[in-house]
Amino acid sequence: MLNMQNVTKIFRTDLVETRALSDFNLHVKEGEFVTVTGPSGSGKTTFLNIAGLLESFDDGVYDLDGENVRHLNDTQRSRLRNEKIGFIFQSFNLIPDLDLFDNVDVPLRYRGFNGSERKRRIERCLELVGLANRMKHLPAQLSGGQQQRVAIARALAGEPRFLLADEPTGNLDSKMAHSVMQLLKDINDEGTTIVMVTHDPSLAREAKRNIFVKDGKVSDVTHISASAPEPIASISASGARHV
Amino acid sequence: MLHLSSWEIGPIFRAMTRNKVGAVLIALQVAVTMCIIVNAVHILMERTMQMARDSGIDEANSFYLSSTGFADDFNDQVVIQTDLDAIRALPGVIDAMQINAIPISGGGWSMGLQTQPGAEFEGVGTAVYMVDDHVLNTLDLELIAGEAFKPSDIRWRQRSQRDWPAEIIITRALAENLFPEQSYQDTVGKTLYINDDEPVIVKGIIDKLQAPWVGWERLENAMLSPEQTLFSSSTYFIRTEPGRLDELMPAVEQMLADSNKGRVVRGLRSMQETRDRTYRRDQAMIKILTTVMITLTLVTALGIVGLASFNVNRRRKQIGTRRALGASQVSVLRYFMLENFLISSMGVILGAVLTVGLNIYLVQSLGLTKLHWWLIPVGMLTLWLVGQLAVLGPARRAAATSPAIATRTV
Amino acid sequence: MFNYYLRLALLSIRRNPILSALMVAAIALGIGASMTTITVNYLMSSNPIPQKSDQLYYVQVDSWDPNEPAEEPNEPPEQLTWTDANNLYAAQKAQRQVIMATTAAVVEPPSQDAKPFNAYIRLTTNEFFPMFDVPFLYGGHWQASADKGREQVVVLSRKSNDKIFGGENSVGRSLRLAGRQFTVVGVLESWYPAPKFYDVGTGAFEEPEDLYIPFLLKEELQLPNGGNTNCWKTPEDDSFAGFLRSECINYQMWVELPEEQDKQAYLAFLNNYANEQKALGRFPRPLNNRLSDVMQWMENRQVVTDDARVMLWLSLMFLVVCLLNTVGLLLAKFSGKSAEIGLRRAIGASRQALFYQHLVETACIGLTGGIAGLALAYLGLLGIGSLYGSFADNLSSLDINMVLLALLLSLISSIAAGLYPTWRACSIAPASQLKSQ
Ligand SMILES: Nc1ncnc2c1ncn2[C@@H]1O[C@H](COP(=O)(O)OP(=O)(O)OP(=O)(O)O)[C@@H](O)[C@H]1O
Ligand SMILES: [Mg+2]
Repeated sequence: MLNMQNVTKIFRTDLVETRALSDFNLHVKEGEFVTVTGPSGSGKTTFLNIAGLLESFDDGVYDLDGENVRHLNDTQRSRLRNEKIGFIFQSFNLIPDLDLFDNVDVPLRYRGFNGSERKRRIERCLELVGLANRMKHLPAQLSGGQQQRVAIARALAGEPRFLLADEPTGNLDSKMAHSVMQLLKDINDEGTTIVMVTHDPSLAREAKRNIFVKDGKVSDVTHISASAPEPIASISASGARHV
Repeated sequence: MLHLSSWEIGPIFRAMTRNKVGAVLIALQVAVTMCIIVNAVHILMERTMQMARDSGIDEANSFYLSSTGFADDFNDQVVIQTDLDAIRALPGVIDAMQINAIPISGGGWSMGLQTQPGAEFEGVGTAVYMVDDHVLNTLDLELIAGEAFKPSDIRWRQRSQRDWPAEIIITRALAENLFPEQSYQDTVGKTLYINDDEPVIVKGIIDKLQAPWVGWERLENAMLSPEQTLFSSSTYFIRTEPGRLDELMPAVEQMLADSNKGRVVRGLRSMQETRDRTYRRDQAMIKILTTVMITLTLVTALGIVGLASFNVNRRRKQIGTRRALGASQVSVLRYFMLENFLISSMGVILGAVLTVGLNIYLVQSLGLTKLHWWLIPVGMLTLWLVGQLAVLGPARRAAATSPAIATRTV
Repeated sequence: MFNYYLRLALLSIRRNPILSALMVAAIALGIGASMTTITVNYLMSSNPIPQKSDQLYYVQVDSWDPNEPAEEPNEPPEQLTWTDANNLYAAQKAQRQVIMATTAAVVEPPSQDAKPFNAYIRLTTNEFFPMFDVPFLYGGHWQASADKGREQVVVLSRKSNDKIFGGENSVGRSLRLAGRQFTVVGVLESWYPAPKFYDVGTGAFEEPEDLYIPFLLKEELQLPNGGNTNCWKTPEDDSFAGFLRSECINYQMWVELPEEQDKQAYLAFLNNYANEQKALGRFPRPLNNRLSDVMQWMENRQVVTDDARVMLWLSLMFLVVCLLNTVGLLLAKFSGKSAEIGLRRAIGASRQALFYQHLVETACIGLTGGIAGLALAYLGLLGIGSLYGSFADNLSSLDINMVLLALLLSLISSIAAGLYPTWRACSIAPASQLKSQ
């Protein structure tokens, strides 16, 4: 699914050159759930941005789904992001002027689905995260955990094969964090490949594989035996009760 | 273009209703700007059209000046004849004559002409030019029917003299005003009545000659009366060969001043200058309105640029997120252009209403004419265009936003 | 505290230089445009003789054609006939009265090197000068006896005294006018009433005439008509006297009537006069005599041109656009500061304090815009002056009233424009901005 070989990313500013990634190597298979940990500034977000085609890189090879993305132009990258990749951000990044429905609608619009298809998907995804009854609310009217669940719904709406999350639980308490984690695991069980950056070792342990990034390199890989997943319903319900 | 759904009209509109004030302010600005611009253009066109009316004479190569005798032994009749002979003999002068009033200058003599005698009948107003047999050549008029004046037709008119010569020449417009049912050629030889019951006969018809008063609704009603005046002042009208005007104006003035010390020579002025003075206020109004229109458009455009730039900055993270979710640069550009288009549309619709309203007010209270209907769609289109151009810069900056903003900003 | 607010305002203005400059420019343009046209309208409609404008009345009697009014709708003629002017003047029924007309004649200065020139002359009676508060530099006006005796006396404008006598006190000296010898009795101070209210027939903002001579000299010297002459009936014979006796109008009359009852009495006298004339076979129209005070007469003569009104309207709308613009930009600016405002609120600033803080900022921008607008208005008036030529010479000056009005207008309009954005900015709840969005 994702294959990075010797990927190097250098940030150049007037004063300094930062090697955010140097000879970064990683292979993620279809259906995997990989967590990424590492000290602050080690290059986790940079890796995720490159993986998600948000940023270009300076050297190396990156194949996404067997396609070399190095020389794709902006439109092609946008297209790939839209169709194959779902994003979950640490600070949720919901659009404040749009209600939940319209927020989840954003990537579907770019996908070019017709109205009824979009509506079906939006309702199903909001249902999935337990917020179907708050479709007409604005993000500001939700708690952080709820906002993150809307963001997950938005990421899922396009049915991406690849979900990238940068500290999705960073702004949530541990209970909320675990419920979001559970949601992601359920999604993974449905077949979606997930790469998640986190600082929380307990969450990192819940994935199938954990990679440790240091100084822009993968320094350690831990394989974790799969644990039994809990049913989705209970998590969504607990999230809804939290309201 | 691919899919209509990616045009996001619905979401843009809904997002706008949550941020009403900004949108309403721009829409109002667009509306008032359109109202002002369309009305200003209308006034401008009206004035330009008035100024473009042809006076019928060779304005580019004509000038005039006056002579007022004060010496006790001053003999008007002799001086006028000598002056005219001398002026006509100058190289470069095509022709010259004495005249009582200057077309489009603002001051002149008017009379009523009627087709039947009697005080109870209403006359048709006309400007009166007292001229000699050189008139057609001097004013560059075309005789389109009847005959020109012969030297023997010309008489001298004393200061308080009331009667009129037997024959006159009139403009085609006057002929058609007097006899609306007949073709102007048939007016030749007809008897008209001046001063209620004094008969005069139409000797000829000229194509066109404007009266002195450009604001008069019967501007092209003029008659030529074959006489030279013995009033306290005489005005000479001179037509020169093309390009000789500047040199001949001071030369003629000097010649007249030197030839007789018992008079004052004054009022030397070219027809071009006369036209400029007459239409000075219209010209001024045109310049002022143009300035107003340009600055106003600029203010509105800058307002749109300012607000759009601000919005782009404020929405940087949102734009980054959209990019991360798969919006291409074109989609982002389109988003802002479309947003502006929707706001402008509200503006121009309101603007159309305001425009008509202001025009109605101006028509009723200040005597303006009614607006051409097509100015409104043209105005709408213009403001749409101004809005799109103004928002293009900020929208392009928005489109250039890196999707990485989504993960990098807090 | 005010100083602190001022410092904050300047800081904030400096932080967003482009946005601030846009706002100042918008206000300046709006104020500049509207002040220019307001000034022109103000000067056009200003009262040229405020101390007694409501005691001076322009006299109209309806001597016109039985078949149609002099002006629609049934207005009396704008001017008087020679006969009526002289009759009404001779009756001396008002506290002061003046009859007048314009003419032109050649002046031959006494000195050999000054060239003869054609002068514009006001024919009038002696009370013209005290009645209209005309200031004298040398000498004074002629006596009533000079009017009656048709004496060849002349009052010079300051400008023509400069031209003919090099500016010296010329009282008692003589000059040739229309071929006759005249004696100078007075020289006026510079006097440019705007509008030239006593005779707006040939332009309300023209310069006053060069010379003033007794009215009856018109007949004596057979002086030509100046201004507008209108006749509804042909004169009875070809002589100059016949022309004067005709129904042609070319003469104006003003009367000074201090009290309302004087006015009523004078109107009664006019009606009575008209009836006498009817008995003599004149005045075929129904009674329609009128007394208009100075400002009424200016209104009647439409001294404020339509163009000026159109421009006033357009420029006020222009100001509205500029203010809308400012509101939008301020809104943008203040909403960009919402984090700071939220923080200040959280720290403990009261809503009122924040309101003042932002109002000070708005006022700073407004005043800067106003001052720049004043400069623009000055340029605008110069522009109008150059576009309109002599017509606008008396119309394009900023007086202190206008300067104050401009500043006030800019302050009021900018504060009005700033009020809503300020209020919105300050109604941010202290907590909302601390919460992550
Ligand atoms: N736009 C940029 N310009 C310059 N340097 C950058 C930029 N973005 C990131 N960096 C640098 O690249 C390095 C890697 O940053 P990155 O954001 O990937 O770290 P991280 O592992 O996500 O850290 P954290 O856990 O704190 O989020 C850092 O040293 C950072 O300062
Ligand atoms: Mg990071």
